[in-house]
Amino acid sequence: MPESAASKLIRNGQLEDNPWRLYQPDPAAGCALPPDTPGWMIELSSWKELLHAQPGRKCPVGIVMPSDGDCSDLMLDAEALHARKDVAFIAIQFLQYGDGRGYSLAWMLRQEYGWSGELRAVGDVLIDTVHYLARCGFTSFVMKPGHDPALALESLRAFSGHYQPGYANSVA
Amino acid sequence: MYHYDELDQGLIEQRVAQFRGQTRRFLDGRLSEDDFRTLRLQNGLYIQRHSPMLRVAIPYGMLASYQLRKLAEISRRWDKGYGHFTTRQNIQFNWPKLEDVPDILAELATVQMHAIQTSGNCIRNTTTDHLAGVAADEVINPLIWCEIIRQWSVLHPEFAFLPRKFKIAVSGAATDRAAVGVHDIGLQAMEQEGEVGFRVWVGGGLGRTPLVGHSIKPFVRWQDLLTYLQAVLRIYNLHGRRDNKYKARIKILVKDLTPAVFAQEVETLWQRIKDGPDTITQAQLQRIAHLFTWPEYEALEDEHAGVPATSNRAFARWLRSNVHKHKQPGYAAVSVSLKATGPAPGDITAEQMECVAELADRYSFGELRVSHEQNLVLADVRQRDLFALWQALDGSGLATPNIGLLTNIVSCPGGDYCSLANAASIPVARAIQQQFDDLDYLHDIGPLDLNISGCMNACSHHHIGHIGILGVDKNGQEWYQVTLGGRQNGANQGRVGRVGAGGALLGRVIGPAFARAQIPEVVQKLVTTYLQLRDSENEHFIDVVERLGIESFKQAVYAKHAEPDDQKAKEMAHA
Ligand code: SF4
Repeated sequence: MPESAASKLIRNGQLEDNPWRLYQPDPAAGCALPPDTPGWMIELSSWKELLHAQPGRKCPVGIVMPSDGDCSDLMLDAEALHARKDVAFIAIQFLQYGDGRGYSLAWMLRQEYGWSGELRAVGDVLIDTVHYLARCGFTSFVMKPGHDPALALESLRAFSGHYQPGYANSVA
Repeated sequence: MYHYDELDQGLIEQRVAQFRGQTRRFLDGRLSEDDFRTLRLQNGLYIQRHSPMLRVAIPYGMLASYQLRKLAEISRRWDKGYGHFTTRQNIQFNWPKLEDVPDILAELATVQMHAIQTSGNCIRNTTTDHLAGVAADEVINPLIWCEIIRQWSVLHPEFAFLPRKFKIAVSGAATDRAAVGVHDIGLQAMEQEGEVGFRVWVGGGLGRTPLVGHSIKPFVRWQDLLTYLQAVLRIYNLHGRRDNKYKARIKILVKDLTPAVFAQEVETLWQRIKDGPDTITQAQLQRIAHLFTWPEYEALEDEHAGVPATSNRAFARWLRSNVHKHKQPGYAAVSVSLKATGPAPGDITAEQMECVAELADRYSFGELRVSHEQNLVLADVRQRDLFALWQALDGSGLATPNIGLLTNIVSCPGGDYCSLANAASIPVARAIQQQFDDLDYLHDIGPLDLNISGCMNACSHHHIGHIGILGVDKNGQEWYQVTLGGRQNGANQGRVGRVGAGGALLGRVIGPAFARAQIPEVVQKLVTTYLQLRDSENEHFIDVVERLGIESFKQAVYAKHAEPDDQKAKEMAHA
């Protein structure tokens, strides 16, 4: 049941409904940015625009970057990012679950750029990868269709201990 | 050897449970074939030509007798009563059924063994010198460092999905028996101003694009080892190519960026994470060191020249080739040859495993090692026990006196088992072994490494064999290309160009490929030429190739009307 899977969100170790959807800009109609209503995710490129175009935005947005993206793009404006209250989370969209770049990006966002807010994994996210993802600093997950979020929640607790003390603990 | 604590044991048991769940979901159709592939590979399970192949990790080659007994039991219950040791110091079983694999892993976990990261695009089993801790020429014992790297790399959350597989080797001796120059990362443990640290090579590797590694950091303090490895891996993980699996190894990234630029990128990143939470502390080092036990040697004197005097010719021959100098007076390290003529190189039967386990208990503190040349090593044998040990090994077909010699062939499973193969390798190894079955002649020829790979993935490291043989496909037929002059260590360090870490050197192709039936004769011609050209018995095969180049060998092999008088050469050698 792909729909219901995508409509569930694992967040802070619990299942929640997922109200978030990606805003599709329509430049022809002059709509580059989402309206100031809840639940919009935007791509990284749009966020830069939004930063300047909607200084007083009330409803927070989620910023999505692909797993092969460059987080320095995002973090060029790290200060602004932290200062603004209108970023709900940063999401990394996994093109394939085996795209290891997303794991390094996440951990760099946490460790080097100091992003302490919510970090979400979306795209090709498997029951079998959430444990690694959590240890790289992800705190919320939207599962790939066919991957039961309830099982994924359990698999976050697949390992009670770990090596690599420098990384996050998967059981939040 | 290292003994698991609760954390280690818990992790492997939980990994079994996780894999059991994954296998069940796959068999129930809840996990797609594509999604399962990477997951099973991360746990050592291939689906290949005849049936699945399960590769079990033997961390840096160290094995206890009770573990070997368990491997024997597994091979009887789920395989056909034998196992195959690989060049990464691991063991493979070729016949298990997919649905049985979780049970096999559960059995392995009862003796602190697993199959984690024995394949897939992740950090593989770290390898080292098979004489680590006992070699007479050792500077730093690498075993504790190997264990630190093992723990760090197992289930590493950031580096579970690299562009391609990643292999690390550690050497701590004057002679590099770990081939650090042909690994993704090669570490040479050393001491500088009283402090232990590592020289770091990156970007070595064989396969389709064989390259010798580059030294990118002359000295990394031990405290910084893991943060430095983390920096190298992160640069690779972010920037290694993912669009073409033949260009995805770190060696290609290092080559494309140039070693200097790569080193600079690593350095810049490392400066940001150095002294961070992955820095090794004295307390962590102590914790791991305390989980090791070491042999309690008796105070003994060396026997004459380190080995017993004997008039038994067969025993003397074995002493010469299969027994190695030990740092402890009165002791020796013994290679158990898995290179008898007949079985595939590296193959061992369940009975032989039990025999070696028994002998390890009786003569070598219950421990043994797997060498990357696919033999076993009993590392701590009293010299006065050597004769009894030899007799026992001989009785089980494990005393072939050929370590370091031509018939100690390193060979991959090749076309008989591996679906990637272009050509068979095991029958070729056997034919060469038959050609050189005269043991006196074999010993006269002296040190010679011969490696056979069934395709250019080069699992048997044919590029660093003194003689390398590679199976190639020509219009659907099996052909074999021959290289000459490769070596895993010992080349003149002062030279530049092809000479790399630890003195590794890649062999050169001597010319057009041969049919399978020609190979024993080709090797014979190479050997005959060597015997004619050497200035004395002390000038080994590889030395002559280095001194004279490959031209004379080439001529001998390809000459139209060559009449290499093999018989005469044999007589000369005996003279
Ligand atoms: S070298 Fe080729 S044939 Fe041999 S084991 Fe490796 S992949 Fe298979």
